[in-house]
Amino acid sequence: MGILASGWSLLPSFTVIGLVLGGTYALAAMGLVLIYRVSGVLNFAHGAVAMFSTFIAYQVAVRWHLPSVVGLLAAIAAGMVIGYIVERLTMRPLTGRPALTKVVITIGWLLILQAGAGLIWGATSYHEPVHLVSRSGFRLIGTQVVIGYDQLTTLIVALVFAVATALLLKRTILGTSMRAVADDPDTGKLWGISVNRVTAASWMAGSAMAAVAGVLITPLINFNTYSLTLIVIDAFTAALIGRLTSLPWTFVGAMFLGIAETYPRAFFNGAGVSSLVAFILMLATLAFLFRPGFSRGRTV
Amino acid sequence: MNPATARRASVFAGIVLAVAIPGLMTDYYRSLAALAVIVAILILSLNLLTGFVGQISFCQYTFAGLGAMTVGALSGAQGHHWSFWISMPLGVLFAALGGFLVGIPALRLSGLFLAILTLGVALGADRYLFANGTWNSFTGGVNPRTPSRPTLFGYHLTGQYSFYLFAFVIFLLVALLVWNMRIGKTGRVLRAIRESEVAASTMGLNLVKWKLAAFTVSAAIAGLGGALLAVQIGSVSPASYDFLHSITLAAVVVVAGVGSLASAAIGGLFVWWVPELLNHLGVNAQFFPLILGTLLVTQLVFAPQGGVVKLQHDLGKLLKIGGRRAALEPELAEVL
Amino acid sequence: MAMLELKGISIRFGGVQALDDVTFSLKRGEILGLIGPNGAGKTTLFNCVSGVLKADTGTITYEEQDLKGLKTDARAHLGIARTFQNLQLFASMTVLENLMVPLDAFAARGMVGDAFRLPRARYEEKKAEEHARAILHFLGLTEHTETIAGSLSVGLQRRVELGRALCLRPKLLLLDEPAAGLDAVETAELAALLPEIRARFGITMLLVDHDMALVMKACDYIYVLDFGKLISEGPPARVSSDPQVVKAYLGEAEEVA
Repeated sequence: MGILASGWSLLPSFTVIGLVLGGTYALAAMGLVLIYRVSGVLNFAHGAVAMFSTFIAYQVAVRWHLPSVVGLLAAIAAGMVIGYIVERLTMRPLTGRPALTKVVITIGWLLILQAGAGLIWGATSYHEPVHLVSRSGFRLIGTQVVIGYDQLTTLIVALVFAVATALLLKRTILGTSMRAVADDPDTGKLWGISVNRVTAASWMAGSAMAAVAGVLITPLINFNTYSLTLIVIDAFTAALIGRLTSLPWTFVGAMFLGIAETYPRAFFNGAGVSSLVAFILMLATLAFLFRPGFSRGRTV
Repeated sequence: MNPATARRASVFAGIVLAVAIPGLMTDYYRSLAALAVIVAILILSLNLLTGFVGQISFCQYTFAGLGAMTVGALSGAQGHHWSFWISMPLGVLFAALGGFLVGIPALRLSGLFLAILTLGVALGADRYLFANGTWNSFTGGVNPRTPSRPTLFGYHLTGQYSFYLFAFVIFLLVALLVWNMRIGKTGRVLRAIRESEVAASTMGLNLVKWKLAAFTVSAAIAGLGGALLAVQIGSVSPASYDFLHSITLAAVVVVAGVGSLASAAIGGLFVWWVPELLNHLGVNAQFFPLILGTLLVTQLVFAPQGGVVKLQHDLGKLLKIGGRRAALEPELAEVL
Repeated sequence: MAMLELKGISIRFGGVQALDDVTFSLKRGEILGLIGPNGAGKTTLFNCVSGVLKADTGTITYEEQDLKGLKTDARAHLGIARTFQNLQLFASMTVLENLMVPLDAFAARGMVGDAFRLPRARYEEKKAEEHARAILHFLGLTEHTETIAGSLSVGLQRRVELGRALCLRPKLLLLDEPAAGLDAVETAELAALLPEIRARFGITMLLVDHDMALVMKACDYIYVLDFGKLISEGPPARVSSDPQVVKAYLGEAEEVA
């Protein structure tokens, strides 16, 4: 790994890149936290769901040449369907079992989705990502930084979802129900909340967010069945920074992660550094920030 | 039928079959058999952690990778030409160190979050440690290392059948050691820790020491498996030790069941022979993870203790064998 | 000479003063009883002595040694054993295995010895098994040697826990509600068993329980705890007629009624 002398001057534009990356992480992470908070399950297949949904978008937009937006909508729909199936078929029947069982089930789903995508679209390394918006951009006044419209769109989408989720949880009946179920499903039932429907809704919403994250991140990274599934680790780290409970902190954590992974690239050659940063941050947050007391130890 | 006699008889029969049948196979199938046996060793390493201490680990292949790459780096044709008998123990040691390091944060985590930690370790190792560019002198970088087969008592184990027997003997040794541990102090102590940490420490057990020991030994065994894999396949590429492999191993363990020798062996066979079967039928290799994932999901929804173990229990009840065995078969159901 | 000395032990949980300046001592060879209504702090006190909890203030001295900072397993190695109010047996293991665990903890052999069945390991294992079986015999549990501990009745489980504690070869035995869940017959058996254990093994005991019959019969001296404070002490006869004690217990009865 060599050190690039021009590192510091790259920082402004790398900040943009980092924030964009962080935005996609935030989307995925918030979806993960939503599912975890309401249903108590840490969805290891979250990245795989994102991957599969993104491939649907790919199929629609790239293979069938429909408009990109239609592809995005198809991805969202796919995410919601997958989320619903997973919850309805393999989570709901296991009420009362320990959380670990359900997590291992999500591992099974990871394998299924991964293999499924490989079978349908081929596990080759490169696929043309879905471009929602043109790559061209504009120059930020007073600096050398160029911001692409696609980058801007990603950031805005991430922010919109963050705000929308917050509003959903605070202002709507569904959202309030979700928070009630998250805190105490039994009491929730007493209040007439359909725990099943709320849980299913959280899985669908969370998976939809993963789908959007997937579509947005594919222009930035290698688009294949493998790499997108791995996004789950970055989503995890961000979610851990939010202690798996706080959506705002998850958002912040994701942004931080995005920048922390990108900045070193200005100074060092090779992608290894960003991976190292992600790895260390993940271990650190898991081992030190996360106290077992915060876990949802009860069976769900 | 006396349970001890029944057990000895079936083990003996199993060994005879395992030695004889590959003798009749072609070299290609013999290599598959060797691979199956090595994976069985990896399953035993997971056995130690899960069956005893009740922890799930999704990074056994990472430890195996540490062992494999040590052998590759030291015994490979490109680098040094050290004997397998030096590089293998070093690989095991290195893997053990890895297990120890992972064990430290693992001390304060359990169940779900331990699983997350091990997954994170696997993914982190994939993306950083084993990735191209980080430590090429260790991982071999773009060009895979090609360690050569060991020499045993002057006999060079290049023959596929002879290497299979070598691997099989090692499997039996490891199985024996693990078994001895399980019925002895180690097994009791680790199961006690799993049952009630409070009571265990009140009885004088140092939880930290034992948990770390469990992780270290489990990783060491995985490292041994990795060293054998390196030499069986003949080349070491980091992709063979990625998190997907670790997950597959864990999935196979859940499906086959943790606890018995038989399930370890069957798990190993499953990992290598089902894809082979698919290949034979002209079916895409991707169907293997698909089948495995589906089996895992349906398994957990309907029968958490694992297919093989359940079968053994049912067979045992049928033939009226039971008793002490029941206490010795730690079921994944208790973990899950 | 005092074997165990508690001086000024206080501990607070949230808004509740669970233990308030508790001071007493335990003489070697004594069977000391600690009684008090529910919530008086008895189990909390035990947790402090065995190392599960740390007191806010005060000292606990065992055989002239301050126990401060010593972990639970270290205290076990000093000879402090304990049974649990809510039964912490190793439920999926057999009775024999349960008793062998403390013997394992004190044995020197490690994983290697086990794995390779080294001579010393085999010897230690055999000795440990003999010792455990002897204790089982003493407690009348021989017929249940290979039974899964969790499948036994409460009375038998309590006896297994007692046996497990005895296998630690303790000098001090803390018994936390050993009669909980036992019927009158079993309790009387226990009352007779404790002095026998003292006579046979020379163990000093600190007993905490609700059951007045047990405490009166088995203990040499009693301390009474209420709301974390010591309100009375003395030989059984004196304590049972102490008006303060009666009030504390009656008060509890009144609340229940």
